[in-house]
Parts: sequence; C-alpha cells; structure tokens
Amino acid sequence: MEDLATAAIEAALKAGVSFADVRIENTSTTIIEINDGVSKQSMASRLKGAGIRAFIDGAWAFGQTTDLSSSGMRKIGDSVAKLALTTKEQVSEKFEIDGPIFEDRFEYNVKKPFSSISIDDKVSLVKMIDDQARDFDKRIVSTRSVYGDMYTELYIANSLGTKVYAENSIPRIISAPTAKDGANRQRIFKSLGVRGGYEVMDTDAAKNIGHDAAELVIELLSSIPATGGSYDVVMDPILNGVMTHEAFGHAAEADNWPSHSTVLEDKVGKEVGPEYLSITDDPTLDGQRGSYEYDWEGTKTKKRTLVKDGILTELLHSLETANRLDMDPNGAARSQSFMDAPLPRMSNTFMEPCDWDVDELIQDTKNGILLCSFNYGYTQSAKGQFMFQASHGYIIENGEKGRMVRDVSLAGNILEVLAKVDAIGNDFELDAGSCGKGGQAVPTMTGGPHARILNMPVGGM
Amino acid sequence: MGAEQVEVYLAKSRAYEIEAENNAIKGASEQRDAGIGIRTVIGKKIGFAYVTTLNEDDITEAISHSLSLAKASLEDPDFVTLPSSGGTYHKAKKLFDNKVDTLSSEEAARLLIRTIDATKENLEGMDFAIEAAISSSSSFNAIVNNLGIAMAESRTSVSLYAYPVIKEGDDQTASYEYQISRDLNDIDPEYIGETAATLAIGFLRPKTIEGGTMPVIFEPLGANSILGRGFAGAVNAEEVQMGRSYIADAYGECIASESLEIIDDGTIPGGLGTRTFDAEGYVSQRTPIIESGVLKNLLHNSYTANKDDVENTGNAARPSYSGLPRISTSNFILTPGKGTVDDFISEMKKGIVCRNTGDRPNMTTGDLSAMVMEGYYIENGEIKFPLKNTLIGINMKDLLTGVSQVGSDSRTTFSMIAPSFVIENANITSG
Repeated sequence: MEDLATAAIEAALKAGVSFADVRIENTSTTIIEINDGVSKQSMASRLKGAGIRAFIDGAWAFGQTTDLSSSGMRKIGDSVAKLALTTKEQVSEKFEIDGPIFEDRFEYNVKKPFSSISIDDKVSLVKMIDDQARDFDKRIVSTRSVYGDMYTELYIANSLGTKVYAENSIPRIISAPTAKDGANRQRIFKSLGVRGGYEVMDTDAAKNIGHDAAELVIELLSSIPATGGSYDVVMDPILNGVMTHEAFGHAAEADNWPSHSTVLEDKVGKEVGPEYLSITDDPTLDGQRGSYEYDWEGTKTKKRTLVKDGILTELLHSLETANRLDMDPNGAARSQSFMDAPLPRMSNTFMEPCDWDVDELIQDTKNGILLCSFNYGYTQSAKGQFMFQASHGYIIENGEKGRMVRDVSLAGNILEVLAKVDAIGNDFELDAGSCGKGGQAVPTMTGGPHARILNMPVGGM
Repeated sequence: MGAEQVEVYLAKSRAYEIEAENNAIKGASEQRDAGIGIRTVIGKKIGFAYVTTLNEDDITEAISHSLSLAKASLEDPDFVTLPSSGGTYHKAKKLFDNKVDTLSSEEAARLLIRTIDATKENLEGMDFAIEAAISSSSSFNAIVNNLGIAMAESRTSVSLYAYPVIKEGDDQTASYEYQISRDLNDIDPEYIGETAATLAIGFLRPKTIEGGTMPVIFEPLGANSILGRGFAGAVNAEEVQMGRSYIADAYGECIASESLEIIDDGTIPGGLGTRTFDAEGYVSQRTPIIESGVLKNLLHNSYTANKDDVENTGNAARPSYSGLPRISTSNFILTPGKGTVDDFISEMKKGIVCRNTGDRPNMTTGDLSAMVMEGYYIENGEIKFPLKNTLIGINMKDLLTGVSQVGSDSRTTFSMIAPSFVIENANITSG
C-alpha cells in the first residue's frame, strides 16, 4: 500500500500543491438481521479504495478512487491537485499545513477474529437473541435483532512523511422488540458495542441483550407520556453522555472556530460551567467503540481534556485546525470511510464523575424527573441550541422514584445548560453510539455519571 | 452456483462540491463512486453482498459471499419471489439536465460566490460569517434479475445553500436557505442569499414564552419534516406488517382531517423522487395515501405486497448498491390548499410558527416532541419575537386530525413536497 500512496502523493506534489495525504482502506463488514425468527438481512460488504486530499495556500481539494493501481493513484493525485490549484484563486484566508510525523504499524489483535467465525454461528447467535426477546412475555408482538461486525485495515500517508498502518475491529449487537397491550404499543432499542473481536459476543451483556430489552419494553407498556414543563432533571449515565456529546462536544470541534460557527468561540480558557464540572474525550480507552490509535490523518491520538474544573481547556483538532488556531494537534480527525474527507470528531466523550451518591442525589430531588437512555439528539453549534430525547424516565416526587414516563425531550442552550448542572454522581458508565456530522457517521461512546440539571424545559404530549 | 433467483444492482455516480466558510471559498471535492450489489435467493432464503468497485475479482467474491449468506439464512415463509416485469413502464421525464452534468468548477464557484454576495448585501454593517456550498451529481443505476427485469436510468441533481451566522453583542444566531432540483435553471443564488440573511436577522434576541395549549403554523420546511419523516414512515408497509407503526390498524379508516390529501407519485416530470422503475426494477406509479382524511394505501415493495397479497406500489428503495431494498416514498406530496404563512399569521390570535424542526415522532406510539429549531411567537395577528428553548408536544394521530388549514405555498425538500399547514392545538413547553 505504501507504493500506491507514494504514487498519489508524488503526482500531487508534482502538479504544484504544498501538501497531500492519502487514506487507503480495506474494510469488510457483516450484518445479520433477524425479525420475528426470520432472516431479514444477511449481508456482507467490502469497501476498498483510496481517498486523496491536496492543499495549497488555504485551498483544499478531495477526491477518491477505487482504482488501486499505480497509474490509477497517479491519475487521482494529479487531478485532485489540479482541483486545489483552481480553488486557490478564490480563497481569502491563506495558511499552511504542518504537523508531527508518525511512522508506525499497529496491528489490533483480537481473541476471535470475525473471519474465523462461520456465518452459521453468527446466525445462531442472532436467532438466540431474537428468541430470547420473544419468549420473555406473550405481549412481545415483534422482535428485531441485529448483529454487525466491521474489520478495517487503513493505511495513511502524507507529504510531511507520515506513514501509518492501523487496524480496527468493532462488533455490535442490537435488540429492538415491540410490545403490545390492547391499543398500547411500545418499542425499545438496546445495543451493545465495544471494540474487540467476536469474543465480545461471549459476554453476559451481549448474550442477555434480548432479555434485557424485552424486560424494558414490557415495563414501558405501563408508562405514561410526561407532562410538559420545567423540571429538575436527573440524567442517568447514558443520557448524561448524550447531553455532554450534543450540548457541548460538537461545539468544541475546532473546525467551528475558523468558520465562526460555535457559541464557544470566545470561551477558550474561560469558564463554561461550575468548578466541579470536567468533560473528557478519550480515544485511548481500552476496548471502547470510539477508541483508535491514529486518526484518519495519521496523527497519534491522545486523551483530550475539553473542560477542566469548569474551564474550556482543549478542542478537538484536525491538522488544519491545529495550524490555524496555533494549538497542538490531538488526533481527532476522522472519516466514515475512504470516500470522505476527515473532520474533527469526538471519540469516547464523557463527564468526569464527582462525589454524589446516586441514591442520595435522587432523595435530594424534591420534584423532578429521572431520565434514562436515549432515542436521539442533535445540535446547532452556531446558535448554541440543542435537543435530545430520553427513551424513558421516572417521575421523582419528594425524593422518591415514581411512575414511569416515556419519550421525554429536552431542549436548551449550550451556554446556559452547563451552568445549571448542580450535582454530579460518583458512578460511571459508557454506552455505544454513532455520531453523524457532514453526512458521515463514526462509531462513538458517550457516558459519565448520573448528574442533575436544575430547571430544564421538558416536552410533553 | 446454486442460486434460484439472482438480482444485480449496479450504480455509478459522480458528485462535485464546492464549500465556502467565513464568506470565502475553502475547498472542492470530486467523488466518483461505482459499485455493485448482488441479491441471491435459494428457496425462501436470501443473501446479499456488495463491493465498492467494479473489479471482476471483487464481484466474484461478492457473489460467493451472497450465496453463503443465503445458505446460512433462516427461511422467510412470507417471501414469494423477486419481482418480474411490472407491465408498462412510463418513461420518467426531465430527470437529467446536461447543464448539471457538465457544470464546470468555475461555473459552480461563480454560483456560490453570487450566493455569498447576496447574503452579505443583506447583512451589511453586521458581524457575520457565511457558510455555503454547492453540490451537483450525475448518477446512473441499472437493475437486472433473472425474471426478466432489465432497467437502467440516469439522473442529475444540484443543490445550493447559504448558512449565515450573525453576532450582536452577546447574542449569536444563524439561519439558512437552500434549493434542490434536477434542473440548474431552478437554482436562484440571489434568492437563497437574501432569504437566509433576512431570516437570520429575524432570529436575533429570541425569548421563551409561557407554555400551554395553542395552535401551531408549520412553514413548508417544518411541514415537510413532520409529514415527510413522521408520517411517511408510518405508511411503510413493512413497519405496519411488523406492528411497529402508530397507524398499524387504521387501513381504510379516517385518520386525518378532511383538508388533508397526500399522494405518493413517482411519475411527475423532474421530481426528486421521480423514476421509471423502483429499486427492484418494478414500474413506478402514483399512489393515493390519504383522500378526504381516509387512509387509502400503504407503500409497498415486492416483498410486502406479496406478503399481504396486494398490488406492489413500486416503492422499493435502497441506498445505492450498498443495501437491500426497503421501502420509501417517491415524491410524497401534500396537495396544496389556500393561503400562505402570512395569511395564517394574520388570522391568529395567539400561537407559534415553526419554520423547521429536526425531530421525528416515536413511530410506534406516534408521540412527537419537536424542538422549534426556528420559530416565532404570534399575538393578535403579528409576529412578536423569535423563540428559543421551545418544544411542541403532540401525538401524530392528533396532529393529522387537527390540521385546520393547508396552504398553497408548496416547496420541495429532500423528504417531500408540501405547503405550510396549521394545527388547531399542541402542547407548547418553553423555558
């Protein structure tokens, strides 16, 4: 792969650009989906190709090819460089791309590579999960169970001299049963995703996911829609992770600074929350879905302390943003595949635990709502506006957990919400997710401890 | 190699994009994508594999993977057959614009700069940063199966947007406008720039309101997003068959206000969802979904139509070569009525306007809790101020029956073609 990358980079430099980089990817995936005991999707794929960027004087160009021959790589290197040179005439802000050089070969060794497991075994696993959910209760009227695995070999090189080969392996298992009682229908989505090989599927959490999802969806049958209004909200670790990701993490992606599209623009080094609040994005955690050694620009990654004791201390950088903001690169540039240009992204994002015992936190909440797990969330960094939805929750009355509620939405403003976090628990949990930005999805984890936000608008039916 | 039925889906595309950040062009990209997806059937067992190249060895590997997956799958008793020829095809019109196909990077850059200039002109004297992009694409897809389907079609599309961020003191806001079409002549950079700028200025100094029950005017973007995602997904026959849709048992019943008529039409000239054939090669058609409030049809592909023993509506859809056919709308159209957003505002005593939301309902219960991404508070027929931290809560079944007026100001978005509409009541939370 080194020769192919060199061919593209040399062709680009020869055409007259000052920087070029290449990502050559070979990824294989499997998806096995069973609905109601029947195969719904049995799918395999191979993604094979190269993405090439060329840069000069503040102008970027990106292209991609699946012609992985020397001549094909030279051709794309040359044409991408020419596109950058044309674009150069119209840019107004000039800057350079520089950065540390890395040479490494990272092999990710797992106990059970996906390719060593037969399709029959994968189908049996999903069948077992699907049966488990259906057999839990006769009110389970429909089951959906999905296994997915993805194994990636990635080679990254750039004209500064970086040459990195890295592997990744991530499996996922999902159970999404539907329950019905009279006219009342409920559905839940539960997933487990960590980094590793097929051995992840041998854990209790994976093997019991059908049962756990079914238990929750049956409980949801007796839930009621929440009444809208302002509440003191206690978030469970999963929802806290979503809040941290949506309400803060996106706004800390450094590509928002040159484009002036984040409400955090003037806040670097300044207070964004209470002194007991710290937020971390850490791709170096062992065995987590959002973890990696090198980002998609070939920069060695490291732990990012985004907020330390209430102060915004670090951002998520690509080579470009580190150069333009004169900060250190921290390996946060990621792409969905070779078909996409890298962007600053989160990895495993979480609020750091503090000192509150969770039971005491709930007892201390007079009239509030405990919100758990999540359906989805989104944000607009430029306006500072975000929203996310808990899949279910419980009314808290006089410090006691009461009636179950469902589909509870919260909306708020990034700069206002962190200041309202008044109590942070001493527990910790991370949950699997997938984050979308600019049409690209990348695997992430989000989480943290339980935490309380005072006086939040909660939507109701 | 053992398959009884085989389907090959091949797609090729070229997409070109120029992006601008902070009022100036920043980068360009050209993506050429070509790949192939192979569906194989053995008895009632189905396998699928795809590859992102058209290389012979890779295709051979995909065929072999597809077959092994079919062999290992669990039988689906409801599967009958892949579709055979769907009768008379009506050749879709105006799908391909040569001007889009041959758009040069210089010309695309000029359109983008005109958009930025138009945005700037309307923001004079303010502190602003404009993000904008133009994207064009030409694509080709072909479907062949061993039951006689052999179809191919080419299409183009172009889209342009402006997203100005403005600051005033401690206040920062943003808005956007965009257009998307198969035809370059439909794209108006000056309109996009001016509208985006004017809207952004109108969202400065937002406020919260006292919550409660009040009417909501959905502008065409909001209407598209609520119905195009929140209702189209509910009439997907697969979701209904699996008991996962909130309208599951309502076929043939009155589920919406009389003023609501919704049609799925894959045949209108130049539509973004227009095609001669669907993603299984079956004939594309016009399907009434709601007439006078009554649910007339669901959206089907060959699998769900065979399972229910009804006619295939030609709504198979897939993400290019990289997936199995599921079900989606073609052109999902809310039939226009009378009046515009301005008319509805002037007639309203107290309520809110929702220009857009990013939310979708819980498809199983129909409960919708939607953030007003851009919206206003109205009192006595006038816009009082823009809103912040405001949520609309309503069940989709109540929303559909609660539509009191449908406007005539239809616009096309990625998800649907819809005008504005008004609902009588929703629970508004703000704080």
